[in-house]
Formats: sequence, C-alpha cells, structure tokens
Amino acid sequence: MNNKKSMTSRERVLAAINHQTPDRIPVDLGATPSSGISAIAYSNLVNHIGNAELPVQIYDVVQQLAQPDRTILDRFGVDVLDIGRTFNEKQTDWEPTILANGAPAFYPKWFKPVKREDGSYVTFDDDGKTMLSRMPVGATFFDQTYFPYVDGYPDSYENLDAEMGRIMWARDAHSPWDHAGEDRFWEQLRERTLRLRETTDKALLVVCGCNLFEWGTFLRRMDNFLMDLLCDPANVERLLDELLKRHLATLEKVCNAVGDLVDIIRFGDDLGMTSGPFMDADTYRLLFKPRHKILCDYVKEHSQMHTFIHSCGSISSLMPDLIEAGIEIFNPVQTNAWQMEPEFLKKEFGKDCTFWGGGIETAGVLNVGAPEKVREQVLERLETFSNGGGFVFNTVHNILPDVPPQNIVAMFDAIQEFNNR
Amino acid sequence: MKDELLKKLSACVEFGKTNKAALYPPQMKGEDGADEITSQLLDEGVGAQEILTGGLMPGMEKVGIKFRENKIFVPQVLMSAKAMGMSMVHLKPFFISGAAKQKGTFIIGTVQGDLHDIGKNLVAMMVEGSGYKVIDLGTDCLAEKYIAAIKENPGAAVGLSALLTTTMVNMEQITKDIKAVFPETLVTIGGAPVNDDFCLKIGADNYSADPQGVVDFLNTKIA
Repeated sequence: MNNKKSMTSRERVLAAINHQTPDRIPVDLGATPSSGISAIAYSNLVNHIGNAELPVQIYDVVQQLAQPDRTILDRFGVDVLDIGRTFNEKQTDWEPTILANGAPAFYPKWFKPVKREDGSYVTFDDDGKTMLSRMPVGATFFDQTYFPYVDGYPDSYENLDAEMGRIMWARDAHSPWDHAGEDRFWEQLRERTLRLRETTDKALLVVCGCNLFEWGTFLRRMDNFLMDLLCDPANVERLLDELLKRHLATLEKVCNAVGDLVDIIRFGDDLGMTSGPFMDADTYRLLFKPRHKILCDYVKEHSQMHTFIHSCGSISSLMPDLIEAGIEIFNPVQTNAWQMEPEFLKKEFGKDCTFWGGGIETAGVLNVGAPEKVREQVLERLETFSNGGGFVFNTVHNILPDVPPQNIVAMFDAIQEFNNR
Repeated sequence: MKDELLKKLSACVEFGKTNKAALYPPQMKGEDGADEITSQLLDEGVGAQEILTGGLMPGMEKVGIKFRENKIFVPQVLMSAKAMGMSMVHLKPFFISGAAKQKGTFIIGTVQGDLHDIGKNLVAMMVEGSGYKVIDLGTDCLAEKYIAAIKENPGAAVGLSALLTTTMVNMEQITKDIKAVFPETLVTIGGAPVNDDFCLKIGADNYSADPQGVVDFLNTKIA
C-alpha cells in the first residue's frame, strides 16, 4: 500500500465508498452517534494520552457521547467529520456536569436533566410532570419512558409533530439538530458547513435519521410496534406514510442547504438484534423497503451525498433488499450477531456496499481484551474487510465506558501497522 | 372433541391467533382463537391443568424451537405470547385456587441500571407458557428485590436479564447477593452481552442464549 499516491482524507473515504483501494485505511471516530465514543471512555482517553486539558463535551446527551476534539481526531488519523460539530463551538454553549465516574464534563447548555434522590437522572416535558426519559443509577445513557401512542393509533395525525417533539431522540437531539428550531438555521447550516469544507480536507457527514421502523417503536413502544407489523399492517403503513412526508420535507431542506458540500448522509433504523433480525425479509419488503427507496432516491436525485444506514444487529437477511433500496453504506456491522461473520459479509455483499464498522468487537475484545488481543483482531478484520475498498474502519458501535484507553491506542496503532505493511 | 380442541389451542399459540376477531394470522382468519377455545375446553369440563399441558405447552414449545432456529422472529413470538395470555386469563383462577398446579415458580427481572425488558418479557412469557408461575419484577431491579421475592416463594428459580455490557457488573453483584442469602437458589442469566464464560465467572447456575434454553433448564432442575 505504501507505493500508492497519497490521498486526502476525503479522497480516501470516497475511494473506499466507490470500491477503489485507498492509499490507507479510512477511519472514523465520532462522525456519527453510532461510531463514536462515550464521554467516560473519552475522558479516560484524553487523560491517558496527555490531553487532559481538552474539555469532555457530551454532544449526544441521550447516549452520553463525547464529541472528540480535532486534536484527537488528527492524532489518530480520523478521516471524516460530522457537520453537526460546527454548532456549539464556543465554550459558552456548554455547562459543566459530572460524569458517573466523577470526571468533569460539559452538557450543551439547553440540557437540564433532574437528579433524583436515588441518584438517577430524568427529563420532563414542558409541563414539568410528564417524564420523558430516565438514566437509572449504574446506567450510562438515557432510556425513553414516554410512548405517546402506546394505547393505540390516533384517528388523526394532527398532533404527530408535537408528539415526535416529546420523544427524547428528537427533543434532546445532538447538534446540529438542537438548533433546528432557530431562525436562519438552514442558512447557518450551509454557512458553517461551507466554512468547514474550506478548512478541512476530511470527508463530511450529516446525520439525518429519517428512521421509519424506529419511529414506530418510539411512538408505539417496541413490543406493540413489533406486533403491529403482523396484526395491524394498515395502521403501520398509515403511520409510515406520515413519517415519510416529514422525512422528505427534512431531506429537501438538507439537500438544499448542504447536499453539494457533504459527502455522506446517515440514516438510522435498527432492524436487527444480536440473535436475528426483528422481522423477516417479506415484512421488510412490504412495509419498509419501498419507503427506504423513496428516501434514497430523493438523496441521489438532489445531492452528491452517499447513503449510509445505521442498523444494529443481524441484518444480513435484509441487506439484499436494503442495497436494492439504495443504501450504499452499512454501520455498525455487528459482527457478533447471527449470520454477520466478517468473511461471510465481505464475500456476500462486499462488491455491493461499504462496511463502516466491524473493525473490532467493542463488547468482548475492545473492552476486556489485552492490547495485544486488540491488535490481533484489528489486523485480522482489516485483512478481511479492506480488500478492494468498501470499508471504513470503525468499532462495532460506540466505544462504551468500560473500554480502557490503552486498548483504544492499541486499536489505532494496529491500523497504522497495517497501513505500513 | 377434547383432543381436537387441545390441538387447535396449541395451533393458536404456535401461530399467534388470539381470538376470533383477530385478523392475524391471515390463514386462520374467522376461526376461533385461544380465547374462545379455552372457554370451550373449560365448558367441556377439561381441567386447567390439562389445558396447560395438552394445549398451551406443546404450542409454546414449538414457538421456542422455531425462534431458536430463527425460523420466526420476535413479532411472531409476541403474538404467540399474546394468544397464550388470552388463554391464561381463563386458567389463572384455577392456579390461584390451587385446583391446578404449575411446575414451579420462576422469578425474573432486568438488573439494576438496565431498563430493557423485551428479552426479559419473552423469557417470562415462554416460561409461563411452559407451565411455570412467573413473578416478573420489572426492570432496574436491586438485589433486595430478588431476595424479597425468593423469601416469599421458597424454591423458586431466578432469572437475571441485562442488555448492556455496563450493567453486567450489576448482574455479578446481584448473583453474589442472592447466593449469600440463598445458596441453593438457582440463578439463570441471559441477555445480549452475557455468555457461558461470564456465567461461570459470576457463579450463576445457567446461561441461555434463547428463551427455550431457560425452559429446558427449569424443566431439568425444578420441574
């Protein structure tokens, strides 16, 4: 690989997505809320590598993820940036808090969870009474506690926007979406992204959920919505169409604002769990595929952005349909899930999509393995996934609080070692 | 007649047919569901015990095996559990009065710090459908909650669930706390981040990767 012409970060990421062999392995850390690092793990990391002066800014408050500082990204050769980081740039946009391990950190100043006597944190709706989310003692992120349609589908969706606004994923959204309601937001998004484009050669990514299945679970609650897929498909489709209308309106604005500046748009929709997909391929084809296709087609017709989906779990049985719907990039490539073995995925789908993740098991190796074990797995995964492009290195989902900083350093060192072969 | 009804009830559980009005599954549209068939069986004078062992349990076992083999997925299992629940509404009074006996008691909860309950609920439903009394403690459960439930239900087995790697540590402490008070109590663990090695390490008695595994464990140990 050393004899290859040196590429910029952006060229490197785009080469991988276009299935050309890049000069070295493109790397992500923190460009999406499913390829990032928890505030506790990040705090441990900056202390370990001698950058304790860097503030720990929890940009995703729901999942308690830190926004890695540019110094850290450059140190580890990260090739891609989330345009959301162009917001909340001033230290005055943040307020101090204390992490569960006692280390200092910062929340965006709008986020004000209530600490209860038992030590848990909760958030409330504007009425101060309806609990929307909760982080129990011992947990390191918030879970949703309010499900507006838990008792059934409404006759009218007049209140859908308001109800969506009460769901923690929307209400406590990470940047840039925490500014979405402000005057001139879309102009600001363009101006700030333009500035970012001018000052970095890294690839740029915008996170724009457009979740369909997941919104169903947020509104109806997981167990209900899963059953609805089978016993009430008419109401599921009615809801999905309402969601699609809203997602297309957002996509139009995103494409207009930054569609010519950003390289990748990241959708989210968890379609699997570790032991299998949430639904069979027929159900996916019937309810979700046509709508995912509409979203992907819109992006392709109105921007230069590549389509990326985050879906946890075992989804290989759904991947042929997702690819047909227009998805180009898959994350987090949960290789410890059923039928998600790296060799199988690369052989079966390697020519048709890009794997953005799967570089190391965050649970099982990165958190509990010795640094040598981390090195071994990273080298092994790079060998499997990187051939012919179609791979951006990232851990299997976010680096969680239990990951020791020595292992994070060992992980990046192993990528370097592979590049120097 | 009885055998035919029991067979039908088993099919209702297997395929998730709750009642006559239910449109799911399409191939059973318009037919009686678990609700009606259980009433008919009771009217025929069939005992709750026999309805459980001859109708619900064979149906639920098929569900457990098909789920383990990834032939069906969570939505189908939830529908089966719903069908079983419709039947259990009729049967519960007999179990409460002691007229019919369950195989044993199973206490289940998601451990402290963890609010995830779908996996726990699936296990609870399948264990109940396999003939056990289930006491569901909910989520974010402290050791004291499990211990209090064991005190009230001597001989019960306990199931601990965790979805998060970060709450596995609580699972370890809770297992130790339970074993300190009730060394004989069987503890079975489950959840995405858990495995056999972890089970051995924390001194639990069993790890199951799927709900049917819990049923198999209970059938071997306490039935």
